[in-house]
Amino acid sequence: MIRFRSLRVRMVVFLVALLGIVQAAEFLLTNDASYSAARNKIEDEFSVGQRVFARVLQQNSERLSQAASVLASDFAFREAIATGDTGTLLSALENQGARINAKAVLYVDLKGQVIADTLRPDIPPHAFEFPELIARARTGSVASTTDLLHGQAYQLIAVPVKAPVTIGWIVVCFPLDLALAQDLRQLTGLDVSFANEQQGRWNIFATTLPAAVADTLRTGLPDYADALDTRVLQLPEGQQQMRLVPLADDAHVAAVLQRPIASAMASFRTLRATLVVLGFLSLAISIAGSVLIALSITRPIELLLAAVKRIRRGDYSEEISVPREDEIGALAQGMEHMRTGIAEREQQILKLAYEDPLTQLPNRSQFALELEQGITQARTRGRSLAIMVMDLDRFKYVNDSLGHGVGDHVLREVGSRLRLMQGDIGCVARLGGDEFALLVHESDVAAVIGVAHRIIKALEVPIIYDGQPLDVGTSIGIAMFPAHGDKSETLVRNADIAMYVAKRTRSGCAVYEKNYDTSQQEHLSLLGELRHAVEHDELRLHYQPKVDLHSATVGACEALLRWNHPRRGVVPPAAFIPFAEHTGYIKVLSRWVLEEAVRQLGAWRREGLLLQVSVNLSARDLLNRELPETIAAILAQHQVPASALCLEITESGFMEDPTHALRVLERLAEIGLQLSIDDYGTGYSSLSYLMKLPAKELKIDRSFVSHVSGDADLRTIVSSTIEMGHRLGMKVVAEGVEDSESYALLRELGCDTAQGYYMSPPLPPEAFQAWLEGRLPTAEPISVARWDRSPCAPSPDAAQQQTARDRTG
Amino acid sequence: MAPRHSTLLLTVATACLASLASAADLIVHVQSAANAPVEDAIVYAVPASPPAPAAGLKYSIDQVNREFVPRINVVQTGTAVRFPNSDNIRHSVYSFSPAKVFTMKLYAGKSADAVVFDKAGLVVLGCNIHDLMVSWLLVVDTPYFARTDHDGTAMFSRLPPGDYTLRTWHEPMTEDQQGAEALHVDAGAGALTHTVHIGTP
Repeated sequence: MIRFRSLRVRMVVFLVALLGIVQAAEFLLTNDASYSAARNKIEDEFSVGQRVFARVLQQNSERLSQAASVLASDFAFREAIATGDTGTLLSALENQGARINAKAVLYVDLKGQVIADTLRPDIPPHAFEFPELIARARTGSVASTTDLLHGQAYQLIAVPVKAPVTIGWIVVCFPLDLALAQDLRQLTGLDVSFANEQQGRWNIFATTLPAAVADTLRTGLPDYADALDTRVLQLPEGQQQMRLVPLADDAHVAAVLQRPIASAMASFRTLRATLVVLGFLSLAISIAGSVLIALSITRPIELLLAAVKRIRRGDYSEEISVPREDEIGALAQGMEHMRTGIAEREQQILKLAYEDPLTQLPNRSQFALELEQGITQARTRGRSLAIMVMDLDRFKYVNDSLGHGVGDHVLREVGSRLRLMQGDIGCVARLGGDEFALLVHESDVAAVIGVAHRIIKALEVPIIYDGQPLDVGTSIGIAMFPAHGDKSETLVRNADIAMYVAKRTRSGCAVYEKNYDTSQQEHLSLLGELRHAVEHDELRLHYQPKVDLHSATVGACEALLRWNHPRRGVVPPAAFIPFAEHTGYIKVLSRWVLEEAVRQLGAWRREGLLLQVSVNLSARDLLNRELPETIAAILAQHQVPASALCLEITESGFMEDPTHALRVLERLAEIGLQLSIDDYGTGYSSLSYLMKLPAKELKIDRSFVSHVSGDADLRTIVSSTIEMGHRLGMKVVAEGVEDSESYALLRELGCDTAQGYYMSPPLPPEAFQAWLEGRLPTAEPISVARWDRSPCAPSPDAAQQQTARDRTG
Repeated sequence: MAPRHSTLLLTVATACLASLASAADLIVHVQSAANAPVEDAIVYAVPASPPAPAAGLKYSIDQVNREFVPRINVVQTGTAVRFPNSDNIRHSVYSFSPAKVFTMKLYAGKSADAVVFDKAGLVVLGCNIHDLMVSWLLVVDTPYFARTDHDGTAMFSRLPPGDYTLRTWHEPMTEDQQGAEALHVDAGAGALTHTVHIGTP
């Protein structure tokens, strides 16, 4: 079976087949109906012809009878018959016969004897051949019959001759001849043949048929009895409609009426031909119509199919438009909605994929693409390109303390500020968290730094949230293409490294340098080494004395972490503390420091050395709720009273999460631990927080102290800070005391404790103890000479070490 | 009545035939084959030696309402017959009968010449203008003739003795179809009665 895959072909084939069947059926039915109608019609026509024939023949007979009657009543004729001799009689008969076109006229007397016969004038009187005709004429006045006379078919009419009573009859003979046949044919529309059958052989006297047809008719006719019943006669010329009309039954004389069926059916054939033509015409029109309908259905479907293919390829550009009112139009409309919907959603997906929903800035992926593009462009144009990576200082604090809503607000605000600067910048993206990246189409490093500073400046303006100003700074790392890498990943990573450097150095922005990378690498490897250090006892605590300025005695010291790396030697805290904080390893480190410090404290106490030891805590430690319990356990383990341990915390450490931190600090204070505020004056120095903290000690940052003797402003700050500390009920410690002037000045200003290289650098426990023993047990004023004996004189990198130490806080 | 002319028979009953005395009366009954009396039959007796045709005898057949009146007539040979024409229309009386062939126009209110029938025989009279007018005139060679009345009876008075041929005619018999029988009348025979049958036996 043939299968049509195409809907169009299927529809066309179906419709054409259907229409063909309908047309064929219609044609067959019509043909059949019109055929039988035509047959009935020609039958009817024939019957009418037959009736007309009979009527005409009768009328003809009546006409002839009348004519004969008129003739017979002619007086002179009657006189001639009644009184004349045979010759006169014959001539009169001939004369009268000629008047009415009779073929022959006979005179029959009352005895039935033929007295005169115009056909055979010389024959003697003899009995008339058709006495029955005379008998009928006797009773009526006129009688007629058709019969054979002398081998010829005649219509015989007997009329009485009255003188004035009947004296005899004239018999007028009209032959059934061609003229009569033609007359009848003209009136009936049928061919007329006068014929006589004798012993199965037909003789035709006269016929309207052509001679050849007459001949076939003569031989084709069945014998008389059968012919009477024949309706259709098969002749070599074709089928004939036929009737045999008996004229003289006894003599087998009849008229054959006939008509070729073909000619009778001619009008039907014309009709059928018209039907065929019309059928084919309407079939053709129907096929054309169905093809058009099929096309009108399938063409829009093909259009829709094409549109679907386009959409599948991801091409949403072309509108799907099939302007129709019907279902296909509705389908097209639906697909058009679908197309725009899909396009919109894809746009949204793309947006989600490449845009940060919070700031509406490009996201990391988009930035990577832009960067790749920028790199390609810069490479082909032989130009440089700068990328910046920045994050927000103190963002975590804002986010954690004020909530994510505020954090989001800050990010949005930063995003919009950066967007405002887009004129200078190729692309601004949010990489995630508080990290942003910028692409700067600028070759000049100085100019790039200029852009970075403008950004810093723009972010220095406080962000207002709920009427409250939020101060968010930023650190920016810069990497240049191609100087700092020719791949996007490398560039981003290097800018990231530079950003950490900038953050660490608080310089605002930093351009990537090769050695940053290595130090960063070191950081990475440090984690493992740091673990190793903790586990293999590479860490040490050094102690720096805190000298009581009032009594010039040492009652306390600060424990400072030192790492004696087996290969690198002494690693400064700045090189690993930030890293430890970053990785969370600071927790382990702080615990180690606390344990070691408390252990040392316990050891000293057992020796009778009653000192207070200060330990620096990281901001992270303050978020550890278990810290108080941990410390309490350590103290208990080493049988050290809480008051012997002082915890130094920085403001910034506290402010990362003040609520948490404050709770932990209060708990620590409850235990009896001393709390000290470290590096006071460098951070926010929020007085409200200062008030809240349960601290008993305030350490002025060394940046104020180290040069206090030579700077009046510094002296004012230090002086007022001391004043303030005292007013708040805290002892004030000055660290970074490096000369006698400062020492003297601080004492003069009422500072309670001093710490610094002027007195002693941080020392290992044994050296510290020795230093103490050199100083102690007497509490005498400190003399410079005693300092010179110090085993550890200040070294050139001491300052750096001091700076680094700050970061351990 | 439809008598067969060709087979018309005249039967004369001879039951009472006897020798007649001179000048006898004769009554003839004419009956049909079914013994019904026949009216308007003409019965005439022709003597063995016929008398000479009469002279001066006159007869009249009128035309009234397009009919000959009377319709059935009998005259002795030599009688002059007039056709007075009582109608106010023309008639054209004719005869093709061998006894007398003639044609005569009859004008309304104008007397035409009489026609003398000088030969015995049956004459059928017609009108050339009106075909339906028919009259029968029997011309006989004897003064002894009579018509049957309603009872089919014909009366002869004072018939001289002698031999006669008694003939009977009735419409529409031809001459040949008349019956004929011999009749002898004795002198002083008195009244004779005779029955004649006409029609098919």
